[in-house]
Amino acid sequence: MEDIKKIATRLKIAKEKIQNKDVINSGSNAASLGKALKISTELVAAVVVGATIGYILDSWFDTKPLLIIIFFFMGVAAGILNVFRSAKKMHEKK
Amino acid sequence: MNTNPMHQFEVYQIGPEINLGGVNLSFTNASLFMVISATLILLLLFLGTKKKSLVPSKIQFITEMSYTFVAKMMNDTAGASAKSFFPFIFTLFMFVLFANMVGMLPYSFTVTSHIIVTFVLAAAVFVGVTILGFAKHGFKYLELFVPKGVPVILLPLIIIIEIISYLSRPVSLSVRLFANMMAGHTMLKVFGGFVISLGLLGGWLPLGFSVALTGLEILVAFLQAYVFAILTCIYLNDALNLHH
Repeated sequence: MEDIKKIATRLKIAKEKIQNKDVINSGSNAASLGKALKISTELVAAVVVGATIGYILDSWFDTKPLLIIIFFFMGVAAGILNVFRSAKKMHEKK
Repeated sequence: MNTNPMHQFEVYQIGPEINLGGVNLSFTNASLFMVISATLILLLLFLGTKKKSLVPSKIQFITEMSYTFVAKMMNDTAGASAKSFFPFIFTLFMFVLFANMVGMLPYSFTVTSHIIVTFVLAAAVFVGVTILGFAKHGFKYLELFVPKGVPVILLPLIIIIEIISYLSRPVSLSVRLFANMMAGHTMLKVFGGFVISLGLLGGWLPLGFSVALTGLEILVAFLQAYVFAILTCIYLNDALNLHH
């Protein structure tokens, strides 16, 4: 009976070790490089999209510099939101 | 020999010019390398699944590994409900991966270093996911733009920001892949040019850099294909399950 208990605890320890290994692997250099590249473009893309929308709306309504300024800052906000969200997602996974 | 580092990205026509209703549809070197990538994928999958032995051969092992890799990635990010989209994600991942990897060979052309190629891929994902979301949830899909627990006064501002954030998805998806591939290949060419111009005396240092950068580029080639596929999975998950 005691033998079985011993084996059970040893199995538990071994399983925990395997799980810990997974955590270490997910934070490896390659994965973090991927995350860094992912986040940096997200910020830029939203700013570009926001400014483009502002530019298009400006030429529609003939309000030349006004909307592009507003939408540029909206784009910045959206970009930060994107970065915040993907960072949160990464945090949840770990 | 042309030492201009941007020369490798030039698209030129192979064979006769084909004009269909004012649209130039000629076969170019870009099309050629897309065909090569697609053929290599088909060849790998065909040879890998021909002899289904219990102890896999090398090629069967690679095929099975790529399958389990994508399947696990989908399971982790999009869940079981996205299982039916496996063929799409797998095709996307393999195409981007092979286009990147074929581009690493000397004298080849990197298809994914052109923004139009990556943008078409990303736009296809974006339009497909949006249609899927509306087909599955109807107008409830628009709730994606209205986060919960926001005061009514702030709502118009938040909705615009959310829409910009949604529209920025294909841009960030395509620019990321394109910029990484183009920057990497330009850098390789620049360091290669240094080796030639510094000659036998000083050329060893950039040669070492070139070797190291090639290794890094192969890593980036794989990583970008992975990121492209994983983000597609995440967008798919958003459309299928409707939450942030």
